[in-house]
Amino acid sequence: MNTSTIVLWIITLTLFLFSWKKGADTVKKGAQLAWSTTKKNGLLIILAFIIAGLVTVLSPEDLVTAWIGPNSGWRGIISAEFLGALLPGGPYVVFPIIAILVQAGAGLGPAIALITSWSTQSLLTISFELPFMGWRFTAIRWMIGLLIPLFAGFTAILLWG
Amino acid sequence: MRSFLKKNWISFLLLIVILILAYIAYSREGWRLVYEGIIIGITILVREIPLLTAAFLTAGLIQALVKKEFITRWLGQDSGLKGILLACLGGGLIPGGPYVYYPIAGALLSSGAGLGVLVAFVTAKNLWSVSRLPYEFALLGSTITIRRYLITFLIPPLVGVLVEWLFGGYIHKIRENVKE
Repeated sequence: MNTSTIVLWIITLTLFLFSWKKGADTVKKGAQLAWSTTKKNGLLIILAFIIAGLVTVLSPEDLVTAWIGPNSGWRGIISAEFLGALLPGGPYVVFPIIAILVQAGAGLGPAIALITSWSTQSLLTISFELPFMGWRFTAIRWMIGLLIPLFAGFTAILLWG
Repeated sequence: MRSFLKKNWISFLLLIVILILAYIAYSREGWRLVYEGIIIGITILVREIPLLTAAFLTAGLIQALVKKEFITRWLGQDSGLKGILLACLGGGLIPGGPYVYYPIAGALLSSGAGLGVLVAFVTAKNLWSVSRLPYEFALLGSTITIRRYLITFLIPPLVGVLVEWLFGGYIHKIRENVKE
């Protein structure tokens, strides 16, 4: 049981109490809505997790190390954006990989572009985004998002070299 | 058949991705690696069931609890900067991965939230994320973490405003998109 789970359950229980105060109908409706979302997306979630597992065993970490070297400048930032989108997994999976790269001499710009790109552009996340938000939302958010890691990386180079 | 495909195209897309990845894994080390990947995926899924349950309940309860008019007023298309900032705050504070915040964003979408607000919510979750901060500090050190937060701090509200201004009118199509 990690912190996220505990915090989220506290939120859930708080909402549950509020609903309870409003009446049993509200609780019932909330549970029904939760169940219908689960039913509608159950298969998709299973598929998304299988993708996550397969990407993990294919270990793209090797590729990451090969692509971003020290002093890679703007090329490093663009590679970092691509790599960030491909990096799978949560912070406890991705941050150690990025830490290894930084130790190996990756610049601050690419490192920041990489963190940012993994945060906003992760392709793996799209398998969760599509079912809940639809393709139009996903396309708009992702395309505009492409600018964010570039901006962050270049600003880092500009400010701190 | 056509309507079946139309209804389930995301499942098919994910299935194709699975087949491609499975093929790559197979050609590298044979069935053992494919099997291992699937097992790892299912293990993560099972481990995350408590979190998933809480996420779906939160999303459902928000929808049941909060009246549509309230969402429309505070987070709707006309909520302006106020709605976008509120969404950023919510996104930054909510813990958990994409299987937590997308169901919640989906609930807000069907309850009447605007496009800029939703994009700001997701972007703030991704860039401000308070629950991720300890990992980032611990694993990457304070220098990178502080500089990264400084640089990306203004991005979630800015992106929200930009997206609302450029594509805000598409929100009805997006809502229908998900209802289908």
